[in-house]
Amino acid sequence: MASHGLILALGLLVGSSVSVHAEPLDEPLKPLPPVPALDPKRVQLGQRLFNDPRLSINNTLSCASCHRLDKGGADDKALSLGFDGKPVEVNTPTVFNASLNFHQFWDGRVDTLEEQVHFVVISPTEMGNTWETVVKRIADNPGYAKDFSEAYPEGVSEASIRNALADYERTLQTPHSRFDQYLQGNTDILTPREKFGYQRFKEYGCIACHQGVNIGGNMFQKFGVMGDYIQDRGNPTRADEGRFNVTGDEADRQVFKVPSLRNVAITAPYFHSGSAPTLERAVEVMFKYQLGREPAGKDTELIVEFLKTLTGEWEGKPL
Amino acid sequence: MTTLRRFGLAFIGLLLASILLFMYVETGAQQAASYIEARDLVRLLKQQDAIWDNEVLKARVALSHNYDPLVSPLHEMNGLWQRLDAIESVPGRHAATLWESLRSDYLQAVKEKTRLVEQFKSHNALLRNSLAFLPTAEDDIQGEFSRLSDADRLQLQNVAIETYDLLLSSMEFAQVTTPEIAAEVLLGLNKLEINKERLPAKLQSSVDILRRHIALILREQPRVNELLQGIQAISVASRLDTITNLLEKDQETAAAKHQRNHVYLLVFATFLVLILIWLAIRLVRSFAEIKRVNSALQTGNDELEQRVEERTRQLKDTQSELMDTARQAGMAEIATNVLHNVGNVLNSVNISADLVSRKLRSSKALGLAKAMQLINEHADDLGHFLTEDAKGKLLPGYLNQLVEAIALEQQSLTDELAQLSKSVDHIKDIVSTQQSYAGANSLLEPLVVSELLEDALRMNSGALTRHHVTVIKEYGEVPRIMGDKHRLLLILINLISNAKYAMAGVSNHARNMTLKAAVLDGETLTISVKDEGEGIPEENMTRIFAHGFTTRKEGHGFGLHSCALAAIEMNGHLTAHSEGPGTGATFELQLPLKLAEGEP
Repeated sequence: MASHGLILALGLLVGSSVSVHAEPLDEPLKPLPPVPALDPKRVQLGQRLFNDPRLSINNTLSCASCHRLDKGGADDKALSLGFDGKPVEVNTPTVFNASLNFHQFWDGRVDTLEEQVHFVVISPTEMGNTWETVVKRIADNPGYAKDFSEAYPEGVSEASIRNALADYERTLQTPHSRFDQYLQGNTDILTPREKFGYQRFKEYGCIACHQGVNIGGNMFQKFGVMGDYIQDRGNPTRADEGRFNVTGDEADRQVFKVPSLRNVAITAPYFHSGSAPTLERAVEVMFKYQLGREPAGKDTELIVEFLKTLTGEWEGKPL
Repeated sequence: MTTLRRFGLAFIGLLLASILLFMYVETGAQQAASYIEARDLVRLLKQQDAIWDNEVLKARVALSHNYDPLVSPLHEMNGLWQRLDAIESVPGRHAATLWESLRSDYLQAVKEKTRLVEQFKSHNALLRNSLAFLPTAEDDIQGEFSRLSDADRLQLQNVAIETYDLLLSSMEFAQVTTPEIAAEVLLGLNKLEINKERLPAKLQSSVDILRRHIALILREQPRVNELLQGIQAISVASRLDTITNLLEKDQETAAAKHQRNHVYLLVFATFLVLILIWLAIRLVRSFAEIKRVNSALQTGNDELEQRVEERTRQLKDTQSELMDTARQAGMAEIATNVLHNVGNVLNSVNISADLVSRKLRSSKALGLAKAMQLINEHADDLGHFLTEDAKGKLLPGYLNQLVEAIALEQQSLTDELAQLSKSVDHIKDIVSTQQSYAGANSLLEPLVVSELLEDALRMNSGALTRHHVTVIKEYGEVPRIMGDKHRLLLILINLISNAKYAMAGVSNHARNMTLKAAVLDGETLTISVKDEGEGIPEENMTRIFAHGFTTRKEGHGFGLHSCALAAIEMNGHLTAHSEGPGTGATFELQLPLKLAEGEP
């Protein structure tokens, strides 16, 4: 009996020591890759541009106006306000980890961040600007002109502005979330309830769409597989047609890019229309309209607890 | 003719060289290198495409729940394609439209495949989720059944069985998607719809969930299969194979061209070598020619040298002859010179002789004869005559006067004769000096410059008096010097004589001649003779010291020439200065001052 206890204790000891140095877990969800090495001059320029209201036609909005890094890379409104003070078409997605999404925007209309910058700047509801104006404003600033000519052979141009912004956004990753640490082998970092939450997340099939490195952001999916959420919500808009607006394919009606769930706990409200004010509500909608399942007992709570472990760090501080 | 040939040869050489260069560029290894790279890129593209297909199949059989691998191959392929495109889109690499069409075919295929894969991902995710849920759903329903009372369970036994059958046929459908099984599943669904009414509420919702998922499977499974077939139908790999074929074909053509160029290269290189050999032969030949011409030149040169030697000898002979002639001419010149100088002195001699003879002719001695005649007439009464006669009484006084006059006359004659002998001495000196002229030896003796000047003046005194020339003497403090008396006198006599002649035509003012002697800086003795005569025109200034130059009809042109020579022989020099015609002239003799012994 005593020898059994000893073996058990030894096993536990070995187990715990193993868990510290454990191999990364092989899960459908993957931890964040390292931030790519980019030209610091360009990144610096991108950061200045990101916070520069000159990008909007009336000098009121910068990228950071809606993508507030202190608000999880998004804002807390269902629909952010454009340069003219009117709400834009869709909810602002977080800029954090956006470089890991396979397409940009809710309807996935562009592949790269450079193109994403372009559409926001010229959007008549967002920044309402033209590149001619932007390039002129930036080039007229001696500080910018000097730094650009150091970072880019062609100096200030539409392409270099776009690239600088995109490069900056590529550095906006939120590593070291508790769940990433768990995936990297530190299995003790999650509480049992959070682990249960992750298990439920997989069992109920959330994992079917929210997987990979960005826990989503790598496929398109119809919103309302098991029911018509948009009709139930009411007031359908053009934006509710999702990817159909891009491809014109009937099969793409109400199809959206599956959003990343990283930092999801701090980016309320949810969905393309910002129609779910809380995480609980969002999980419930997902159960009903996407999974066609009834969550048993307190499973929603467990899943929400799990989702909160996906919040990472920015500049070394938890978001 | 040869120029033309040379140009032709250079042209051919240049042509061959440029053809070779052109071929080198044409066949460059670059083509081969880029071909290898392109082939490698195509291979990598195919590999990524295969990985992509593989990931699709893995997702299809639910081996993988992570869809990231279905995204990344596309990124890889895009990168690879851009590199390939950059290589192959270079103009002239392929037939114009061929590459364009293959390129657009490939891009079209990739675009279509991407679209289908995206749809596959969406539908497959739903399908896999529902299929995975089926056993759980069935477990839920069976669980609900088991909680029913036995009577109810018995009553709903067939519903349970039918649900189970539906589940099985759904799973079968997922494996073998045929219209028959689809119909069976649909039938089962409809039955369940009807049976549902009889079930208790709790069970009803579970069945409803199951129904919804089976309906989804029924809807999505054919769609997923269709998409998979579509993905398979779009063979990106075959597009890549076509591209490979094109690359190979082009490479073959390039290789053939390469081969052909090799042959050309060989031929042209041979030509070039032949030309080079020919040139080498030409070079050797021309070397021989040069050698021949060189030796001919050498012979010619030797002959020429001989002739030059001969000529030189002849010239030497001529020169010595000339020198003899020159010597004779020099001697003649010296003779003329001597005669001139002697002439100058003879002038003085002549004057002295003339003076003596005139004095003798008018000598007071004649008075003595007259007195003696008177005495002889009165020889007998001499006493009476001397005391009584009026004439006789005067005679002793007269004789006394006569004695005085004769004594005076004798004195002047003696002086004049001394002067004469001095002049003759000078002539002797001149002659003796000229006799030893070649030696140019000079006899230095202590001299007093003022005396020298006086001597010179005296030698010219007759002429000066005749010409009414007033001599102004400005002698400075000059110590006794060591000098060549004869040469100095020669110069001074000449200068004084010239000054006198220069003033011969002057009638409007006094004829003044100024003699100056001074010591400059304690080193140089200067003696100058200044006249107020006709002066020297500018153009004559350079010629006045030349041998044979004279402005006088009876002149010889030796005076100044010999003076200048004599000055140089005494290490001094003679200079002339004149403001121009009518302003007079100054001749200045400068000599290095050599003090006589005993002088401070």
